[in-house]
Amino acid sequence: MKVGLFIPCYVDALYPEVGVASYKLLTALGLDVDYPLNQTCCGQPQANAGFESMAVSHAEHFEELFKGYDYIVGPSVSCAAFVRLNYPDLLHGKHKCESAEKIMDIVEFLHDVVKVESLPGRFPHVVSVHNSCHGVRELGLSSPSERNVGSYSKIRDLLSLVDGITVREPERPDECCGFGGMFSMEEKEVSVKMGQDKLQRHIDTGAEYITGPDCSCLMHMQGIAKSGKYPIRFIHVVEILASGL
Amino acid sequence: MTSKQNILDGIRKNVRHDIEMPDIDAIVPVQYEDSLSKFVEMVKFVGGHARMLEPDEDINDAIRRNYPEAKVVASSLPYIKADKDPDMVQDAGELADVDLGVLEGRVAVAENGCVWIPQTMKERAVMFISQCLVIIVDRNDIVSNMHKAYEKVSSTEYLYGCFISGPSKTADIAQALVMGAQAARDVTVIVR
Amino acid sequence: MSTRHSKAAKSFLENVERSEWHDNTLWGVRVKRDRMSKSLPEWERLRDAASAIKRHTLSHLDEYLEKFSENAQRNGVIVHWAANAEEFNAVVLDILKAHDVRKLVKSKSMLTEECEMNPYLEAHGIEVVETDLGERIIQLLDQKPSHIVMPAIHLTQEEVGELFEKELGSEKGNSDPTYLTYCARESLRNEFLTADAGLTGANFGVAETGEIVICTNEGNADMSTSVPKLHIAAMGIEKIIPDHKSLAVFHRLLARSATGQPSTTFTSHFRKARPGGEMHIILVDNGRSRMLAQEKHWETLKCIRCGACMNTCPVYRRSGGYSYTYIIPGPIGVNLGMARDAEKYHDNASACSLCCSCDNVCPAKVNLSEQIYSWRQELKSLGKAPMTKEMMSRGMKTVFDRPALYNLALKCSPLINAAVTCSQAVSLHLWGKGRSLPEFAKESFHSMWVKGKVKNDK
Repeated sequence: MKVGLFIPCYVDALYPEVGVASYKLLTALGLDVDYPLNQTCCGQPQANAGFESMAVSHAEHFEELFKGYDYIVGPSVSCAAFVRLNYPDLLHGKHKCESAEKIMDIVEFLHDVVKVESLPGRFPHVVSVHNSCHGVRELGLSSPSERNVGSYSKIRDLLSLVDGITVREPERPDECCGFGGMFSMEEKEVSVKMGQDKLQRHIDTGAEYITGPDCSCLMHMQGIAKSGKYPIRFIHVVEILASGL
Repeated sequence: MTSKQNILDGIRKNVRHDIEMPDIDAIVPVQYEDSLSKFVEMVKFVGGHARMLEPDEDINDAIRRNYPEAKVVASSLPYIKADKDPDMVQDAGELADVDLGVLEGRVAVAENGCVWIPQTMKERAVMFISQCLVIIVDRNDIVSNMHKAYEKVSSTEYLYGCFISGPSKTADIAQALVMGAQAARDVTVIVR
Repeated sequence: MSTRHSKAAKSFLENVERSEWHDNTLWGVRVKRDRMSKSLPEWERLRDAASAIKRHTLSHLDEYLEKFSENAQRNGVIVHWAANAEEFNAVVLDILKAHDVRKLVKSKSMLTEECEMNPYLEAHGIEVVETDLGERIIQLLDQKPSHIVMPAIHLTQEEVGELFEKELGSEKGNSDPTYLTYCARESLRNEFLTADAGLTGANFGVAETGEIVICTNEGNADMSTSVPKLHIAAMGIEKIIPDHKSLAVFHRLLARSATGQPSTTFTSHFRKARPGGEMHIILVDNGRSRMLAQEKHWETLKCIRCGACMNTCPVYRRSGGYSYTYIIPGPIGVNLGMARDAEKYHDNASACSLCCSCDNVCPAKVNLSEQIYSWRQELKSLGKAPMTKEMMSRGMKTVFDRPALYNLALKCSPLINAAVTCSQAVSLHLWGKGRSLPEFAKESFHSMWVKGKVKNDK
């Protein structure tokens, strides 16, 4: 099984340690992982802002780059969701979109494909899980609070394999943090207020860390925490899963 | 061309699909083992009172005991002692001073405390304008859910009918729940 | 970067106490809705069925409308057809004039708001009295509803107290909701008794029986139609459903979704006029048939106006109904406004973080967020695309289309960090107050990989 590691642009530039943790964890699990060079952006920010057509060339480039892999795995739910749900439309009429069938967020890949049952690491901390919207409602990483479906969480399942960890969830467990790409700039005040509210609910769990499957939500809340000097740290789920490696 | 024709032509021109009707019977709705106690529970949940008519209890006595203060009672039911008859009034406005209206429900729904009351009287205002309501329901008319309820309603003729679920209520001022917005402030369902 | 929505939202948020109350109160309604939906094991099946029934009915709307109108006429109801708001208002006025009506009591109808019926009738000398408590409050304040189910949710009880003191003569300083509700009850009872006609909306029109169904908690639709002899019902053509079997599905979903109640207090079925009375139904198009042709947006017509999408929307809860420029706010309002007149209402398209929560509460499964996404794509061709967003997107495209340029840019990232930190103006303009900009890492993942640092870092 050949895995192509997808490191989205902002993870590459701002959170390379999340990329490193992803690589280490996947190889430690015995997978054949490669990182195709020349990756940039999946095009989601432009498309969500209303300029989908500007994302078409990114989709073409992405298809080309990840051609030979069985799975494309990345540590960012909204980028993975964009490739899965929007690329087929972007490439419609050109050729079949293969990436959409092969793309997986790293949490769902570990949970559903690798079916990880044990992890070597230890993380003796209290964490509050941030259920990113697109992880919940587009990729199904956990049960959406709105729906009458059985309650589950792939993130919690995986985190519970780590020794010493205490996992909590905030009140309003999957309300949006307010990032939303360019929404955060166009609707600044609402975006910041959503982030402040979300942050406070995470802090109210008594957690030392906020963890989640998407660095963009964490980035947004981190910016608010830094500005308001909130006493909380941020860590991507995959960094916890890879602890001790 | 008339507006009717314009609208219908516009629809025909603009509809892009031909979609089939789903099979609603495929839904398996909730069924309560004891629909009577669920119904009683739900009447209370929606802010009403529910009580059983004892085997040898007189309905008029039961109503009096529950509403001893009611001065003007209105009903068109022949077995109810009433001061006003909605069949006989000239004008609905004559019912404005009614303290208690007494009605018969035909279908009672366990899942939501609704009771189906078709208009059998000349002035249905009695159902709304009365300060308080007593609704008499036969225990054999209780069904689990709305699917069953509409099945029963469909087989009847009515010019008007209403499912009533507890007293009139509102939360329009600061989301504070208040009983008695425009219609009855207090509703008792008597199951016989 | 801003829109009319974002500017209005900013001022809404300035009153922290009120905006947090608004958020928490509507979230409370969402919680009640969740509790109700989870009490029915078949909930998701009901949503599927509701969506499918609406899709079916809309795709055969002409047949169902004809059937509905034939059956209603057979019941002795007088049916009118109005292609647009002007025609609708004129039909209402004609009926009222023919009956010499001076005072009209009405229950809540978003359709009459859409058609701006009240000011029209008032200009023709007819007194119009709203009888839903929330609608009455905003009518006395000369305001518009800020929520479709809870029209006065933006007001405090103190504000209502002051209003009633002035308008209804209630006690000075008494803002107890029960007391105020009873004051309105007394005053409205007098209106019902002295009105010449009642006007209602309609939640559903049942084709098989020709009846209309109205759901209220207060009983005001029934008060409005059981005292005056003349009943006029205004109904959008998309409100048609096939039969009672379908009605059962919608009944089970509507109140649970809207307010978290198992049913509205009153579900009233109007089939024929009262003895000695007269009943009219006005079927209104006003742009709805045109929407059927909008391939990406026609399913907006499935909406049953429960307001659940507003209650769950994190943006609506934190910006309030008046921040939207269309009469219906929240996710459904963004879409209905755009479908009605995209040029006029494009400002609302910014009011969405694409969190998709609305899609999951909607009882008719309208794909609200997907539609907002696709409306944003159409802004460019309407000439309404926000310039800064377009420039940024174009800039991103330029860089991301050229991996070498992107990687070169990242090499300069420490400079960008420094520049941004120095330029408070840039940071504030793009990112606002209360949030620091993220910092670029010292070295990108790409650079580490190329140098072999990732593989060797064991």
